[in-house]
Amino acid sequence: MRVEISYKFIVGFLVVVVSGVIVNLAVPYLQIPPEFQQFFSVACALVVGLIIGAVFSRAFAANIRRLTSVGDQISQGNLSETIQLKEGRFPDETSDLAKSMNHIQESLRALVGDIRGIAFKVAGSAQNLSSTSQEVSASAQEVAHTVNQINRGAETQAEMVEKSKRIFNDVARSINQVATAASKVAESAHQTVDTARSGSELAGASLDSIRQVLAEAQSSSQQMFNFIGQLQRISKFVEVINGVAQKTNLLALNATIEAARAGEYGRGFTVVAEEIRKLADSTTISANEITALVEGIRTEGHLVQSSMGQVIEEMEIGREAVDRTNHAFSQITQNAEVTRSKATNIAELTAQQISSAEQITRAIDEIDKVVSDNAAATEQVSATTQKQSASMEGLALSAQNLSTMSESMLQIVKRFKLVKEE
Amino acid sequence: MTLTLLFTLGEDIYGLEISAIQEIVEDPPLYYVPRAEGALVGAINFHSQVLAVIDLSALLGFPGEKRDHRWVVLTPQFKSLVLTVGSIHRIVNLDLSELQSSPSSAGVKVVRGVANLDEMTINLLDTNEVIELLNNQSI
Repeated sequence: MRVEISYKFIVGFLVVVVSGVIVNLAVPYLQIPPEFQQFFSVACALVVGLIIGAVFSRAFAANIRRLTSVGDQISQGNLSETIQLKEGRFPDETSDLAKSMNHIQESLRALVGDIRGIAFKVAGSAQNLSSTSQEVSASAQEVAHTVNQINRGAETQAEMVEKSKRIFNDVARSINQVATAASKVAESAHQTVDTARSGSELAGASLDSIRQVLAEAQSSSQQMFNFIGQLQRISKFVEVINGVAQKTNLLALNATIEAARAGEYGRGFTVVAEEIRKLADSTTISANEITALVEGIRTEGHLVQSSMGQVIEEMEIGREAVDRTNHAFSQITQNAEVTRSKATNIAELTAQQISSAEQITRAIDEIDKVVSDNAAATEQVSATTQKQSASMEGLALSAQNLSTMSESMLQIVKRFKLVKEE
Repeated sequence: MTLTLLFTLGEDIYGLEISAIQEIVEDPPLYYVPRAEGALVGAINFHSQVLAVIDLSALLGFPGEKRDHRWVVLTPQFKSLVLTVGSIHRIVNLDLSELQSSPSSAGVKVVRGVANLDEMTINLLDTNEVIELLNNQSI
């Protein structure tokens, strides 16, 4: 049964008054000296009053202290203590207060819990944000690094393109020189062909002359051979004549001997035989002279024949040499023809190469432009990434601030104890 | 005047009276006589007669192997011997009255004497002595 405090006080007061009355009424019957009767009744009234007062105040004070201590704890941030009042037989306004404070505490707990949760989440988000921004920043730095590399690459590319251009100009010059040289070679080869042809013609003409002379020399040699043959026939005739002369000589000798044997009659015949012998002797002498002459002529003829043979051999060698020369000239002509056609091919090819080189030069120029554009683009990218980096730094700073703020919020909220600590 | 055949033996000119000569033959087929010695060269067939061939140079001890292809056939009075000489020259007329004795002919009997003709010195052979020499050498 709910009894308000004021009623409780009234009841207490009434109990004290009633007890004083009752004691006053009961005192005469208690054989207490009269002088002490007043004192006793007062004392009893005081005792009753003190007891009731003590009981009441103790009950009140206990609840109030509990409330106060809980209030203090709340003010300290401890929201874990729930107010448990002693369940009296007669609850009063303190119970209401305790209920209200418990409500407040619950509301605060929920609030602080929410705040803490949110602060946690914020801190987490801030950290995420911070790490994300750091990652972004790192990425941005990497991008910047990469862009730098690209930039450097673009510079190298530009240098390479420049170098390529220079080299290619050299190459184009070389190709031009090659083309000029090839034309000269073709011209020289043409001249060589002409020269070799005229040389070949000359060699052919001299070959013809040599052939004619050779044929003449051969026929002369043959004539000389025939002549020597005739000489040999003469020698044979002379031998015959010689033999006849010797026979005549012998006949003359024997005729002389026979005539001598005939004595006086043979004397005339001896003279004839002597004349015949003389004729035979002079015939022999003449024949010997002819033989000597023929021998001389034959020796000379042999010499002429052998020198003719040498001349023929040398002319044969000369003919072969001229033949080889002619052959060499024709080979030179062929080779020069080949050289000329090759040189012409080279000239044509180099002309194609020149046009290709021009195309390549144009391509290199385009590459140069593209490289320049790339460089500009990478410059822009670099600037953008720098801006991005700056923004990211700002973002990171904000995230840091947010983190700090959520941290301090947590710190603030941490004062509130939500759960009873064991 | 005597007709004399002149020929050489070695380096010298010799003469032989043609009264001792039967004929001069040229290159007749020569038959070699087995185991012939000294100056005997061989034998020839002369008009169906077999005649001994004597190398006069070898017989008289002249050096040199020169031998004329014409050989001298002596008359039957001189055993029909055939003589080979160095080289037969010709037949000349010699005046035998002007014959001089050879300075070295004291021991050499085969040379009858020396005659001069056209600045030639001719040693005239003694045919009988030659035959004698052959006989002495018992060929």
